[in-house]
Amino acid sequence: MIKIKQLKAEIDGREILKGLDLEIQPGKVHAIMGPNGAGKSTLSYVLAGREEYEVTGGDIEMNGESILEMAPEERAGKGLFLAFQYPVEIPGVQMTTFMKTAVNSVRKARGLSELDAIDFLKLMKSKCKELGISDEMMKRAVNVGFSGGEKKRNEVLQMAMLEPKFCVLDETDSGLDIDALKIVADGVNKMRGGDRSFLVITHYQRLLDYIKPDAVHVLAGGKIVKTGGPELAHELEEKGYADIVGAAA
Amino acid sequence: MSLPLERIPTPKSERFKYTNLPRTLKGLDLKPASLGWGNKIAVLEPKAPGAEQYRDTELWAINAENVSDIRFISGDDEIDVNAKDGQFICPRIVIDVKDNQTVTVVERQGGAGAYWKNTVVQVTIGKNATLRHYRICDEAEKGVSTIFTHVKIGRDSTYEAFCLTTGAGTIRNQTHGELTGENAHCWLSGVNLLSSAQLADTTITIEHQAPHCTSKQTFKSVLKDQAHGVFQGKVHVHQVAQKADGYQLSNALILSPEAQMDTKPELEIYADDVKCSHGATTGRLDEEPLFYMRARGIPESVARALLIQSFCGQAVESISDESMHEVVTGKIEQWLQSRI
Ligand SMILES: Nc1ncnc2c1ncn2[C@@H]1O[C@H](COP(=O)(O)OP(=O)(O)OP(=O)(O)O)[C@@H](O)[C@H]1O
Ligand SMILES: [Mg+2]
Repeated sequence: MIKIKQLKAEIDGREILKGLDLEIQPGKVHAIMGPNGAGKSTLSYVLAGREEYEVTGGDIEMNGESILEMAPEERAGKGLFLAFQYPVEIPGVQMTTFMKTAVNSVRKARGLSELDAIDFLKLMKSKCKELGISDEMMKRAVNVGFSGGEKKRNEVLQMAMLEPKFCVLDETDSGLDIDALKIVADGVNKMRGGDRSFLVITHYQRLLDYIKPDAVHVLAGGKIVKTGGPELAHELEEKGYADIVGAAA
Repeated sequence: MSLPLERIPTPKSERFKYTNLPRTLKGLDLKPASLGWGNKIAVLEPKAPGAEQYRDTELWAINAENVSDIRFISGDDEIDVNAKDGQFICPRIVIDVKDNQTVTVVERQGGAGAYWKNTVVQVTIGKNATLRHYRICDEAEKGVSTIFTHVKIGRDSTYEAFCLTTGAGTIRNQTHGELTGENAHCWLSGVNLLSSAQLADTTITIEHQAPHCTSKQTFKSVLKDQAHGVFQGKVHVHQVAQKADGYQLSNALILSPEAQMDTKPELEIYADDVKCSHGATTGRLDEEPLFYMRARGIPESVARALLIQSFCGQAVESISDESMHEVVTGKIEQWLQSRI
Protein backbone atom coordinates (compact mmCIF):
# COMPACT_ATOMS: atom_id res chain seq x y z
CA MET A 1 0.00 0.00 0.00
CA ILE A 2 2.56 2.54 1.13
CA LYS A 3 6.29 2.32 0.69
CA ILE A 4 8.61 4.99 2.04
CA LYS A 5 12.21 4.62 0.92
CA GLN A 6 15.16 6.53 2.38
CA LEU A 7 13.00 9.63 2.72
CA LYS A 8 14.82 12.86 3.43
CA ALA A 9 13.00 16.13 3.96
CA GLU A 10 13.81 19.59 5.20
CA ILE A 11 12.05 22.77 6.15
CA ASP A 12 13.60 26.22 6.03
CA GLY A 13 16.94 24.60 5.27
CA ARG A 14 16.82 22.33 8.31
CA GLU A 15 16.85 18.58 7.68
CA ILE A 16 14.16 16.83 9.75
CA LEU A 17 13.72 13.44 8.08
CA LYS A 18 17.06 11.76 7.54
CA GLY A 19 16.55 8.63 5.52
CA LEU A 20 13.32 7.11 6.74
CA ASP A 21 12.15 3.65 5.64
CA LEU A 22 8.67 2.33 6.23
CA GLU A 23 6.39 -0.11 4.44
CA ILE A 24 2.76 -0.80 5.23
CA GLN A 25 0.87 -3.65 3.56
CA PRO A 26 -2.79 -3.31 2.56
CA GLY A 27 -5.14 -3.76 5.51
CA LYS A 28 -2.47 -3.27 8.16
CA VAL A 29 -2.26 -0.81 11.04
CA HIS A 30 1.14 0.54 11.96
CA ALA A 31 1.83 2.82 14.89
CA ILE A 32 4.58 5.38 15.20
CA MET A 33 5.75 6.60 18.57
CA GLY A 34 8.65 8.87 19.34
CA PRO A 35 9.86 11.82 21.38
CA ASN A 36 8.68 15.39 20.79
CA GLY A 37 10.34 16.97 17.82
CA ALA A 38 11.38 13.61 16.33
CA GLY A 39 9.75 14.41 12.99
CA LYS A 40 6.44 12.54 13.25
CA SER A 41 4.27 15.43 12.13
CA THR A 42 6.85 16.30 9.50
CA LEU A 43 6.41 12.81 8.08
CA SER A 44 2.64 13.22 8.06
CA TYR A 45 2.84 16.58 6.28
CA VAL A 46 5.30 15.26 3.72
CA LEU A 47 2.96 12.34 3.05
CA ALA A 48 0.05 14.75 2.52
CA GLY A 49 2.11 16.98 0.22
CA ARG A 50 2.61 20.17 2.16
CA GLU A 51 4.70 22.45 -0.04
CA GLU A 52 6.78 24.11 2.69
CA TYR A 53 8.57 20.82 3.18
CA GLU A 54 11.17 20.02 0.61
CA VAL A 55 11.86 16.39 -0.13
CA THR A 56 15.59 16.14 -0.76
CA GLY A 57 15.93 12.39 -1.14
CA GLY A 58 14.13 9.05 -1.34
CA ASP A 59 10.61 8.29 -2.50
CA ILE A 60 7.06 7.64 -1.33
CA GLU A 61 5.02 5.12 -3.28
CA MET A 62 1.34 4.49 -2.90
CA ASN A 63 0.11 1.36 -4.65
CA GLY A 64 3.30 1.21 -6.65
CA GLU A 65 3.12 4.81 -7.86
CA SER A 66 5.34 7.64 -6.64
CA ILE A 67 3.25 10.44 -5.12
CA LEU A 68 6.04 12.98 -4.60
CA GLU A 69 5.09 15.04 -7.65
CA MET A 70 1.38 15.02 -6.85
CA ALA A 71 -0.51 18.00 -5.42
CA PRO A 72 -2.16 17.47 -2.01
CA GLU A 73 -5.63 17.27 -3.58
CA GLU A 74 -4.44 14.68 -6.06
CA ARG A 75 -3.10 12.51 -3.24
CA ALA A 76 -6.41 12.85 -1.40
CA GLY A 77 -8.21 11.80 -4.56
CA LYS A 78 -5.98 8.70 -4.73
CA GLY A 79 -7.07 7.83 -1.20
CA LEU A 80 -4.58 9.39 1.17
CA PHE A 81 -5.99 11.02 4.29
CA LEU A 82 -4.25 12.95 7.07
CA ALA A 83 -5.97 13.62 10.38
CA PHE A 84 -4.09 16.74 11.50
CA GLN A 85 -2.41 17.02 14.89
CA TYR A 86 -3.63 20.63 14.91
CA PRO A 87 -6.79 20.90 12.81
CA VAL A 88 -7.03 24.27 11.08
CA GLU A 89 -9.78 26.81 11.73
CA ILE A 90 -11.40 28.32 8.64
CA PRO A 91 -13.59 31.27 9.62
CA GLY A 92 -16.47 31.94 7.27
CA VAL A 93 -16.53 28.52 5.62
CA GLN A 94 -19.37 26.40 6.93
CA MET A 95 -18.60 22.76 7.86
CA THR A 96 -21.36 21.46 5.59
CA THR A 97 -20.13 23.43 2.58
CA PHE A 98 -16.55 22.36 3.25
CA MET A 99 -17.50 18.71 3.66
CA LYS A 100 -19.75 18.60 0.61
CA THR A 101 -17.07 20.22 -1.55
CA ALA A 102 -14.47 17.76 -0.27
CA VAL A 103 -16.64 14.66 -0.71
CA ASN A 104 -17.64 15.61 -4.23
CA SER A 105 -14.08 16.58 -5.17
CA VAL A 106 -12.70 13.16 -4.22
CA ARG A 107 -15.69 11.42 -5.81
CA LYS A 108 -14.96 13.28 -9.02
CA ALA A 109 -11.27 12.36 -8.81
CA ARG A 110 -12.28 8.71 -8.38
CA GLY A 111 -14.64 8.74 -11.35
CA LEU A 112 -17.79 8.61 -9.23
CA SER A 113 -20.87 10.78 -9.67
CA GLU A 114 -21.30 13.72 -7.32
CA LEU A 115 -23.71 13.35 -4.42
CA ASP A 116 -26.76 15.59 -4.51
CA ALA A 117 -27.71 17.68 -1.48
CA ILE A 118 -30.10 15.09 -0.07
CA ASP A 119 -27.82 12.07 -0.36
CA PHE A 120 -24.96 14.08 1.04
CA LEU A 121 -26.90 15.24 4.09
CA LYS A 122 -28.08 11.69 4.74
CA LEU A 123 -24.50 10.43 4.66
CA MET A 124 -23.24 13.22 6.87
CA LYS A 125 -26.01 12.77 9.43
CA SER A 126 -25.36 9.08 9.80
CA LYS A 127 -21.59 9.56 10.19
CA CYS A 128 -22.12 12.39 12.68
CA LYS A 129 -24.36 10.16 14.74
CA GLU A 130 -21.77 7.38 14.84
CA LEU A 131 -19.16 9.80 16.12
CA GLY A 132 -21.40 11.65 18.56
CA ILE A 133 -21.19 14.93 16.64
CA SER A 134 -24.22 17.22 16.77
CA ASP A 135 -25.87 18.49 13.58
CA GLU A 136 -25.51 21.99 14.99
CA MET A 137 -21.71 21.73 14.75
CA MET A 138 -21.99 21.17 11.01
CA LYS A 139 -23.60 24.59 10.65
CA ARG A 140 -20.61 26.29 12.22
CA ALA A 141 -17.44 27.42 10.48
CA VAL A 142 -14.78 24.72 10.05
CA ASN A 143 -13.18 24.05 13.46
CA VAL A 144 -13.95 27.59 14.67
CA GLY A 145 -14.87 27.53 18.33
CA PHE A 146 -14.63 23.72 18.44
CA SER A 147 -13.11 22.33 21.65
CA GLY A 148 -9.86 20.39 21.34
CA GLY A 149 -11.75 17.09 21.52
CA GLU A 150 -14.39 18.23 19.05
CA LYS A 151 -11.71 19.13 16.54
CA LYS A 152 -10.21 15.64 16.78
CA ARG A 153 -13.60 14.01 16.41
CA ASN A 154 -14.21 16.23 13.41
CA GLU A 155 -11.01 14.87 11.82
CA VAL A 156 -12.31 11.33 12.19
CA LEU A 157 -15.66 12.40 10.75
CA GLN A 158 -13.90 13.74 7.67
CA MET A 159 -11.95 10.53 7.39
CA ALA A 160 -15.14 8.48 7.52
CA MET A 161 -16.80 10.71 4.91
CA LEU A 162 -13.93 10.64 2.42
CA GLU A 163 -13.42 6.86 2.44
CA PRO A 164 -9.65 6.91 2.05
CA LYS A 165 -7.43 3.92 1.43
CA PHE A 166 -4.48 5.04 3.52
CA CYS A 167 -5.10 7.01 6.70
CA VAL A 168 -2.50 8.88 8.70
CA LEU A 169 -3.68 9.86 12.19
CA ASP A 170 -1.37 12.37 13.84
CA GLU A 171 -2.03 12.33 17.60
CA THR A 172 -5.76 12.05 17.09
CA ASP A 173 -5.99 10.77 20.68
CA SER A 174 -4.45 13.88 22.27
CA GLY A 175 -7.01 16.02 24.01
CA LEU A 176 -9.76 13.41 23.97
CA ASP A 177 -11.59 12.44 27.16
CA ILE A 178 -11.98 8.72 27.93
CA ASP A 179 -15.41 8.41 26.32
CA ALA A 180 -14.39 10.37 23.23
CA LEU A 181 -11.30 8.19 22.87
CA LYS A 182 -13.53 5.11 22.75
CA ILE A 183 -15.86 6.71 20.22
CA VAL A 184 -12.96 7.74 18.01
CA ALA A 185 -11.28 4.32 18.30
CA ASP A 186 -14.59 2.64 17.42
CA GLY A 187 -14.86 4.95 14.44
CA VAL A 188 -11.40 3.89 13.26
CA ASN A 189 -12.01 0.20 13.95
CA LYS A 190 -15.22 0.33 11.93
CA MET A 191 -13.14 1.47 8.97
CA ARG A 192 -10.62 -1.34 9.34
CA GLY A 193 -10.84 -4.47 7.34
CA GLY A 194 -10.39 -4.92 3.64
CA ASP A 195 -7.47 -3.11 2.05
CA ARG A 196 -7.50 0.09 4.07
CA SER A 197 -4.21 0.78 5.86
CA PHE A 198 -3.48 3.08 8.81
CA LEU A 199 -0.50 4.90 10.18
CA VAL A 200 -1.30 5.92 13.75
CA ILE A 201 1.00 8.47 15.40
CA THR A 202 0.58 8.60 19.15
CA HIS A 203 2.36 9.23 22.44
CA TYR A 204 0.11 6.90 24.42
CA GLN A 205 -0.08 3.18 24.47
CA ARG A 206 -3.70 3.47 25.67
CA LEU A 207 -4.95 4.29 22.14
CA LEU A 208 -3.25 1.14 20.91
CA ASP A 209 -5.26 -0.90 23.42
CA TYR A 210 -8.33 0.17 21.46
CA ILE A 211 -6.81 0.18 17.99
CA LYS A 212 -4.60 -2.92 17.94
CA PRO A 213 -1.64 -2.27 15.67
CA ASP A 214 0.12 -4.87 13.55
CA ALA A 215 3.47 -3.16 14.08
CA VAL A 216 4.91 -0.41 16.25
CA HIS A 217 7.81 1.82 15.14
CA VAL A 218 9.92 4.26 17.07
CA LEU A 219 10.82 7.43 15.19
CA ALA A 220 13.72 9.42 16.58
CA GLY A 221 16.09 11.88 14.99
CA GLY A 222 14.32 11.65 11.64
CA LYS A 223 14.58 7.87 11.24
CA ILE A 224 12.82 4.70 12.30
CA VAL A 225 15.13 3.40 15.01
CA LYS A 226 13.16 0.39 16.22
CA THR A 227 10.29 -1.77 15.04
CA GLY A 228 8.32 -4.37 16.97
CA GLY A 229 4.88 -5.75 17.76
CA PRO A 230 2.22 -4.24 20.05
CA GLU A 231 4.34 -5.20 23.05
CA LEU A 232 6.85 -2.49 22.06
CA ALA A 233 4.30 0.18 22.99
CA HIS A 234 4.02 -1.25 26.49
CA GLU A 235 7.76 -1.37 26.80
CA LEU A 236 8.05 2.30 25.82
CA GLU A 237 5.29 3.28 28.21
CA GLU A 238 7.35 1.74 31.03
CA LYS A 239 10.87 2.67 30.15
CA GLY A 240 10.58 5.76 27.92
CA TYR A 241 12.76 6.39 24.87
CA ALA A 242 16.14 6.84 26.56
CA ASP A 243 17.41 3.28 25.99
CA ILE A 244 16.31 2.99 22.37
CA VAL A 245 17.27 6.46 21.23
CA GLY A 246 20.55 6.22 23.12
CA ALA A 247 21.38 2.82 21.57
CA ALA A 248 20.56 4.04 18.07
CA ALA A 249 22.57 7.23 18.35
CA MET B 1 -16.77 70.73 -26.46
CA SER B 2 -13.95 68.93 -24.84
CA LEU B 3 -13.80 67.62 -21.29
CA PRO B 4 -13.37 70.13 -18.46
CA LEU B 5 -9.96 68.62 -17.88
CA GLU B 6 -8.51 71.58 -16.01
CA ARG B 7 -11.37 71.35 -13.45
CA ILE B 8 -10.85 67.71 -12.60
CA PRO B 9 -9.02 67.25 -9.30
CA THR B 10 -5.48 65.91 -9.47
CA PRO B 11 -3.60 63.78 -6.95
CA LYS B 12 -2.34 67.04 -5.47
CA SER B 13 -5.67 67.43 -3.76
CA GLU B 14 -5.73 65.23 -0.69
CA ARG B 15 -8.93 63.35 -1.39
CA PHE B 16 -7.61 62.34 -4.81
CA LYS B 17 -4.18 61.36 -3.63
CA TYR B 18 -4.27 57.82 -5.00
CA THR B 19 -6.46 58.28 -8.08
CA ASN B 20 -5.20 60.26 -11.02
CA LEU B 21 -8.32 61.13 -12.97
CA PRO B 22 -6.85 63.74 -15.34
CA ARG B 23 -4.18 61.32 -16.51
CA THR B 24 -6.75 58.58 -17.12
CA LEU B 25 -9.17 60.87 -18.94
CA LYS B 26 -6.64 62.77 -21.01
CA GLY B 27 -6.14 60.03 -23.55
CA LEU B 28 -9.86 59.48 -24.19
CA ASP B 29 -11.71 60.99 -27.12
CA LEU B 30 -15.13 61.75 -25.61
CA LYS B 31 -18.13 63.87 -26.53
CA PRO B 32 -21.00 65.08 -24.34
CA ALA B 33 -23.94 62.73 -24.66
CA SER B 34 -27.03 61.70 -22.75
CA LEU B 35 -28.89 58.61 -21.59
CA GLY B 36 -32.14 60.06 -22.90
CA TRP B 37 -33.77 60.57 -19.51
CA GLY B 38 -34.25 64.30 -20.12
CA ASN B 39 -32.72 67.13 -18.10
CA LYS B 40 -35.31 69.87 -18.20
CA ILE B 41 -35.93 70.28 -14.52
CA ALA B 42 -34.03 73.23 -13.13
CA VAL B 43 -34.14 72.73 -9.38
CA LEU B 44 -30.70 71.28 -8.86
CA GLU B 45 -28.47 72.53 -6.13
CA PRO B 46 -25.44 73.72 -8.06
CA LYS B 47 -23.20 73.54 -5.05
CA ALA B 48 -22.55 70.33 -3.22
CA PRO B 49 -23.36 70.29 0.48
CA GLY B 50 -20.05 70.39 2.29
CA ALA B 51 -18.25 72.18 -0.55
CA GLU B 52 -16.67 74.77 1.71
CA GLN B 53 -15.84 72.49 4.55
CA TYR B 54 -14.33 69.52 2.75
CA ARG B 55 -13.18 70.95 -0.56
CA ASP B 56 -13.60 67.63 -2.30
CA THR B 57 -16.75 68.25 -4.29
CA GLU B 58 -15.40 69.28 -7.68
CA LEU B 59 -17.01 66.31 -9.40
CA TRP B 60 -20.41 67.45 -8.15
CA ALA B 61 -19.81 70.89 -9.63
CA ILE B 62 -18.82 69.41 -12.98
CA ASN B 63 -21.99 67.31 -12.90
CA ALA B 64 -24.15 70.36 -12.12
CA GLU B 65 -22.70 72.34 -15.02
CA ASN B 66 -22.93 69.53 -17.54
CA VAL B 67 -25.93 67.61 -16.29
CA SER B 68 -27.14 65.38 -19.13
CA ASP B 69 -29.92 63.38 -17.52
CA ILE B 70 -32.10 63.72 -14.46
CA ARG B 71 -34.14 61.07 -12.76
CA PHE B 72 -36.38 61.43 -9.70
CA ILE B 73 -37.06 58.45 -7.50
CA SER B 74 -39.36 58.26 -4.50
CA GLY B 75 -40.37 54.60 -4.32
CA ASP B 76 -38.88 51.17 -5.03
CA ASP B 77 -37.02 51.38 -8.30
CA GLU B 78 -34.31 49.96 -10.52
CA ILE B 79 -32.11 52.15 -12.60
CA ASP B 80 -29.50 51.46 -15.26
CA VAL B 81 -26.70 53.89 -15.98
CA ASN B 82 -25.04 52.55 -19.11
CA ALA B 83 -22.59 54.55 -21.14
CA LYS B 84 -21.65 53.89 -24.76
CA ASP B 85 -18.26 54.20 -26.38
CA GLY B 86 -17.07 57.80 -26.70
CA GLN B 87 -19.60 59.33 -24.30
CA PHE B 88 -19.16 61.91 -21.59
CA ILE B 89 -22.33 61.95 -19.51
CA CYS B 90 -23.38 63.58 -16.26
CA PRO B 91 -26.48 61.85 -14.89
CA ARG B 92 -28.17 63.14 -11.76
CA ILE B 93 -30.30 60.78 -9.70
CA VAL B 94 -32.45 62.37 -7.01
CA ILE B 95 -33.90 60.02 -4.41
CA ASP B 96 -36.41 61.37 -1.98
CA VAL B 97 -37.66 59.05 0.74
CA LYS B 98 -40.59 60.48 2.66
CA ASP B 99 -41.27 60.02 6.39
CA ASN B 100 -42.19 56.48 7.47
CA GLN B 101 -41.34 54.94 4.07
CA THR B 102 -39.13 51.96 3.30
CA VAL B 103 -37.66 52.12 -0.16
CA THR B 104 -35.27 49.85 -2.08
CA VAL B 105 -33.35 51.19 -5.05
CA VAL B 106 -31.11 49.05 -7.25
CA GLU B 107 -28.64 51.00 -9.36
CA ARG B 108 -26.68 49.22 -12.09
CA GLN B 109 -23.64 50.99 -13.46
CA GLY B 110 -22.04 49.77 -16.66
CA GLY B 111 -20.91 50.62 -20.14
CA ALA B 112 -19.00 49.66 -23.26
CA GLY B 113 -15.82 51.05 -24.77
CA ALA B 114 -14.26 54.25 -23.48
CA TYR B 115 -16.40 56.78 -21.59
CA TRP B 116 -16.69 59.04 -18.61
CA LYS B 117 -19.81 58.85 -16.49
CA ASN B 118 -19.83 61.50 -13.82
CA THR B 119 -22.90 60.60 -11.79
CA VAL B 120 -24.35 62.44 -8.81
CA VAL B 121 -26.82 60.68 -6.58
CA GLN B 122 -28.60 63.03 -4.24
CA VAL B 123 -30.52 61.36 -1.43
CA THR B 124 -32.83 62.76 1.21
CA ILE B 125 -34.35 60.46 3.80
CA GLY B 126 -37.09 61.89 6.02
CA LYS B 127 -38.00 60.76 9.52
CA ASN B 128 -38.43 57.15 10.58
CA ALA B 129 -37.68 55.95 7.06
CA THR B 130 -35.29 53.51 5.40
CA LEU B 131 -33.52 53.53 2.08
CA ARG B 132 -31.77 50.41 0.89
CA HIS B 133 -29.51 51.46 -1.92
CA TYR B 134 -27.75 48.69 -3.82
CA ARG B 135 -25.25 49.49 -6.52
CA ILE B 136 -23.77 46.98 -8.92
CA CYS B 137 -20.81 48.21 -10.95
CA ASP B 138 -19.68 46.26 -13.97
CA GLU B 139 -17.77 48.79 -15.99
CA ALA B 140 -15.72 48.45 -19.16
CA GLU B 141 -11.95 48.33 -19.06
CA LYS B 142 -11.61 51.79 -20.63
CA GLY B 143 -14.57 53.25 -18.79
CA VAL B 144 -14.20 55.92 -16.15
CA SER B 145 -17.02 56.09 -13.67
CA THR B 146 -17.09 58.70 -10.96
CA ILE B 147 -20.06 58.66 -8.63
CA PHE B 148 -20.72 61.24 -5.96
CA THR B 149 -23.43 60.14 -3.58
CA HIS B 150 -24.72 62.60 -1.04
CA VAL B 151 -27.15 61.44 1.63
CA LYS B 152 -29.05 63.37 4.27
CA ILE B 153 -30.51 61.08 6.89
CA GLY B 154 -33.26 62.32 9.19
CA ARG B 155 -34.31 61.34 12.68
CA ASP B 156 -34.79 57.58 13.36
CA SER B 157 -33.94 56.77 9.76
CA THR B 158 -31.49 54.39 8.10
CA TYR B 159 -29.47 54.54 4.94
CA GLU B 160 -28.22 51.04 4.05
CA ALA B 161 -25.95 50.97 1.03
CA PHE B 162 -24.01 48.18 -0.58
CA CYS B 163 -21.80 48.44 -3.62
CA LEU B 164 -20.41 45.51 -5.60
CA THR B 165 -17.75 45.99 -8.24
CA THR B 166 -16.99 43.08 -10.54
CA GLY B 167 -15.66 45.03 -13.49
CA ALA B 168 -13.89 48.34 -13.74
CA GLY B 169 -11.69 50.58 -15.67
CA THR B 170 -11.35 53.44 -13.22
CA ILE B 171 -14.01 53.82 -10.56
CA ARG B 172 -14.29 56.60 -8.04
CA ASN B 173 -17.06 56.00 -5.56
CA GLN B 174 -17.42 58.95 -3.26
CA THR B 175 -20.05 59.11 -0.55
CA HIS B 176 -20.89 61.94 1.79
CA GLY B 177 -23.37 60.98 4.49
CA GLU B 178 -24.92 63.50 6.85
CA LEU B 179 -26.65 62.15 9.93
CA THR B 180 -28.88 65.16 10.58
CA GLY B 181 -31.48 63.81 13.04
CA GLU B 182 -31.15 61.92 16.29
CA ASN B 183 -30.90 58.15 16.15
CA ALA B 184 -30.10 58.10 12.45
CA HIS B 185 -27.95 55.40 10.85
CA CYS B 186 -25.61 55.35 7.90
CA TRP B 187 -24.45 51.86 7.05
CA LEU B 188 -22.18 51.54 4.04
CA SER B 189 -20.56 48.36 2.82
CA GLY B 190 -19.10 46.99 -0.33
CA VAL B 191 -17.02 44.43 -2.13
CA ASN B 192 -14.56 45.36 -4.86
CA LEU B 193 -13.32 42.49 -7.00
CA LEU B 194 -10.57 43.79 -9.23
CA SER B 195 -8.21 42.24 -11.75
CA SER B 196 -5.83 43.35 -14.53
CA ALA B 197 -5.16 47.11 -14.23
CA GLN B 198 -8.50 48.04 -12.72
CA LEU B 199 -8.84 50.73 -10.08
CA ALA B 200 -11.63 51.26 -7.57
CA ASP B 201 -11.48 54.17 -5.18
CA THR B 202 -13.92 54.26 -2.28
CA THR B 203 -13.88 57.62 -0.55
CA ILE B 204 -16.27 58.32 2.30
CA THR B 205 -17.12 61.18 4.61
CA ILE B 206 -19.69 60.62 7.32
CA GLU B 207 -20.82 63.49 9.48
CA HIS B 208 -22.44 62.82 12.82
CA GLN B 209 -24.45 66.01 13.36
CA ALA B 210 -26.92 64.78 15.97
CA PRO B 211 -26.77 62.61 19.10
CA HIS B 212 -27.24 58.82 19.17
CA CYS B 213 -26.37 58.16 15.55
CA THR B 214 -24.46 55.16 14.22
CA SER B 215 -22.31 54.78 11.15
CA LYS B 216 -20.69 51.68 9.75
CA GLN B 217 -18.27 51.20 6.90
CA THR B 218 -17.44 47.61 5.98
CA PHE B 219 -15.41 47.22 2.80
CA LYS B 220 -13.60 44.26 1.28
CA SER B 221 -11.27 44.40 -1.67
CA VAL B 222 -9.87 41.46 -3.61
CA LEU B 223 -7.00 42.48 -5.84
CA LYS B 224 -5.48 40.40 -8.63
CA ASP B 225 -2.81 41.15 -11.21
CA GLN B 226 -1.95 44.89 -11.19
CA ALA B 227 -5.27 45.94 -9.68
CA HIS B 228 -5.35 48.96 -7.41
CA GLY B 229 -7.74 49.50 -4.52
CA VAL B 230 -8.20 52.72 -2.58
CA PHE B 231 -10.14 53.22 0.62
CA GLN B 232 -10.37 56.60 2.31
CA GLY B 233 -12.90 56.75 5.09
CA LYS B 234 -13.53 59.77 7.25
CA VAL B 235 -15.79 59.93 10.27
CA HIS B 236 -16.48 63.45 11.46
CA VAL B 237 -18.27 63.66 14.79
CA HIS B 238 -19.56 67.17 15.52
CA GLN B 239 -19.66 68.50 19.05
CA VAL B 240 -23.42 68.02 19.43
CA ALA B 241 -23.26 64.40 18.29
CA GLN B 242 -22.91 62.73 21.68
CA LYS B 243 -23.17 58.94 21.95
CA ALA B 244 -22.01 58.58 18.36
CA ASP B 245 -21.04 55.07 17.31
CA GLY B 246 -18.73 55.00 14.31
CA TYR B 247 -17.28 51.82 12.93
CA GLN B 248 -14.92 51.53 10.01
CA LEU B 249 -13.33 48.45 8.50
CA SER B 250 -11.35 47.97 5.32
CA ASN B 251 -9.83 44.60 4.50
CA ALA B 252 -7.90 43.89 1.35
CA LEU B 253 -6.77 40.59 -0.03
CA ILE B 254 -3.77 40.82 -2.31
CA LEU B 255 -3.53 37.93 -4.75
CA SER B 256 -0.50 39.04 -6.71
CA PRO B 257 2.71 40.89 -5.91
CA GLU B 258 1.86 43.73 -8.33
CA ALA B 259 -1.55 44.44 -6.82
CA GLN B 260 -1.80 47.46 -4.56
CA MET B 261 -4.05 48.75 -1.82
CA ASP B 262 -4.01 52.25 -0.37
CA THR B 263 -5.96 52.77 2.80
CA LYS B 264 -6.48 55.94 4.78
CA PRO B 265 -8.87 55.92 7.71
CA GLU B 266 -9.56 59.26 9.40
CA LEU B 267 -11.37 60.18 12.58
CA GLU B 268 -12.27 63.76 13.43
CA ILE B 269 -14.01 63.85 16.79
CA TYR B 270 -15.30 66.94 18.58
CA ALA B 271 -17.78 65.29 20.96
CA ASP B 272 -16.53 63.68 24.16
CA ASP B 273 -18.91 60.75 24.61
CA VAL B 274 -18.40 58.67 21.48
CA LYS B 275 -17.50 55.14 20.49
CA CYS B 276 -15.44 55.00 17.32
CA SER B 277 -13.28 52.23 15.97
CA HIS B 278 -11.45 51.59 12.78
CA GLY B 279 -9.46 48.72 11.42
CA ALA B 280 -7.63 48.17 8.19
CA THR B 281 -5.75 45.12 6.98
CA THR B 282 -4.01 44.22 3.76
CA GLY B 283 -2.85 40.65 3.45
CA ARG B 284 -2.56 37.53 1.38
CA LEU B 285 -4.54 34.30 1.56
CA ASP B 286 -3.54 32.14 4.52
CA GLU B 287 -1.56 29.08 3.49
CA GLU B 288 -2.77 26.88 6.37
CA PRO B 289 -6.48 26.74 5.54
CA LEU B 290 -5.54 26.37 1.89
CA PHE B 291 -3.43 23.29 2.60
CA TYR B 292 -6.06 21.87 4.96
CA MET B 293 -8.70 22.06 2.24
CA ARG B 294 -6.41 20.65 -0.43
CA ALA B 295 -5.51 17.78 1.89
CA ARG B 296 -9.24 17.00 1.88
CA GLY B 297 -9.22 16.70 -1.91
CA ILE B 298 -10.51 20.18 -2.72
CA PRO B 299 -8.69 21.53 -5.82
CA GLU B 300 -6.56 24.60 -5.16
CA SER B 301 -8.68 26.98 -7.25
CA VAL B 302 -11.86 25.85 -5.51
CA ALA B 303 -10.22 26.19 -2.10
CA ARG B 304 -9.05 29.70 -2.96
CA ALA B 305 -12.51 30.65 -4.17
CA LEU B 306 -14.09 29.38 -0.95
CA LEU B 307 -11.65 31.37 1.16
CA ILE B 308 -12.16 34.54 -0.88
CA GLN B 309 -15.91 34.14 -0.66
CA SER B 310 -15.71 33.86 3.11
CA PHE B 311 -13.42 36.89 3.17
CA CYS B 312 -16.17 38.91 1.47
CA GLY B 313 -18.84 37.40 3.72
CA GLN B 314 -18.83 40.05 6.42
CA ALA B 315 -19.67 42.81 3.92
CA VAL B 316 -22.21 40.72 2.01
CA GLU B 317 -23.99 39.78 5.26
CA SER B 318 -24.92 43.43 5.74
CA ILE B 319 -27.34 43.28 2.80
CA SER B 320 -30.73 43.00 4.47
CA ASP B 321 -32.70 42.41 1.27
CA GLU B 322 -32.76 38.65 0.71
CA SER B 323 -33.01 38.62 -3.06
CA MET B 324 -30.22 41.18 -3.42
CA HIS B 325 -28.12 39.11 -1.04
CA GLU B 326 -28.58 36.19 -3.43
CA VAL B 327 -27.80 38.27 -6.52
CA VAL B 328 -24.58 39.58 -4.99
CA THR B 329 -23.48 36.13 -3.77
CA GLY B 330 -24.09 34.76 -7.26
CA LYS B 331 -22.11 37.52 -8.93
CA ILE B 332 -19.19 37.02 -6.56
CA GLU B 333 -19.22 33.28 -7.32
CA GLN B 334 -19.26 34.04 -11.03
CA TRP B 335 -16.29 36.36 -10.74
CA LEU B 336 -14.37 33.78 -8.74
CA GLN B 337 -15.11 31.02 -11.25
CA SER B 338 -13.77 33.03 -14.15
CA ARG B 339 -10.85 34.77 -12.43
CA ILE B 340 -9.47 32.46 -9.72
N1 LIG C 1 9.58 25.91 9.93
C1 LIG C 1 10.48 25.20 10.63
N2 LIG C 1 11.78 25.58 10.65
C2 LIG C 1 12.70 24.89 11.34
N3 LIG C 1 12.41 23.81 12.07
C3 LIG C 1 11.15 23.37 12.08
C4 LIG C 1 10.10 24.04 11.37
N4 LIG C 1 8.94 23.39 11.58
C5 LIG C 1 9.24 22.35 12.39
N5 LIG C 1 10.54 22.33 12.72
C6 LIG C 1 11.24 21.39 13.59
O1 LIG C 1 11.13 20.11 13.08
C7 LIG C 1 11.26 19.17 14.13
C8 LIG C 1 10.23 18.08 13.96
O2 LIG C 1 8.95 18.61 14.20
P1 LIG C 1 7.65 17.68 14.17
O3 LIG C 1 6.48 18.58 14.32
O4 LIG C 1 7.70 16.82 12.98
O5 LIG C 1 7.84 16.80 15.49
P2 LIG C 1 6.87 15.70 16.11
O6 LIG C 1 7.62 14.44 16.14
O7 LIG C 1 5.59 15.69 15.44
O8 LIG C 1 6.72 16.26 17.61
P3 LIG C 1 5.46 16.21 18.62
O9 LIG C 1 5.50 14.89 19.28
O10 LIG C 1 5.75 17.29 19.60
O11 LIG C 1 4.23 16.47 17.84
C9 LIG C 1 11.13 19.97 15.43
O12 LIG C 1 12.40 20.08 16.01
C10 LIG C 1 10.64 21.30 14.97
O13 LIG C 1 11.09 22.36 15.80
MG1 LIG D 1 3.67 16.18 15.97
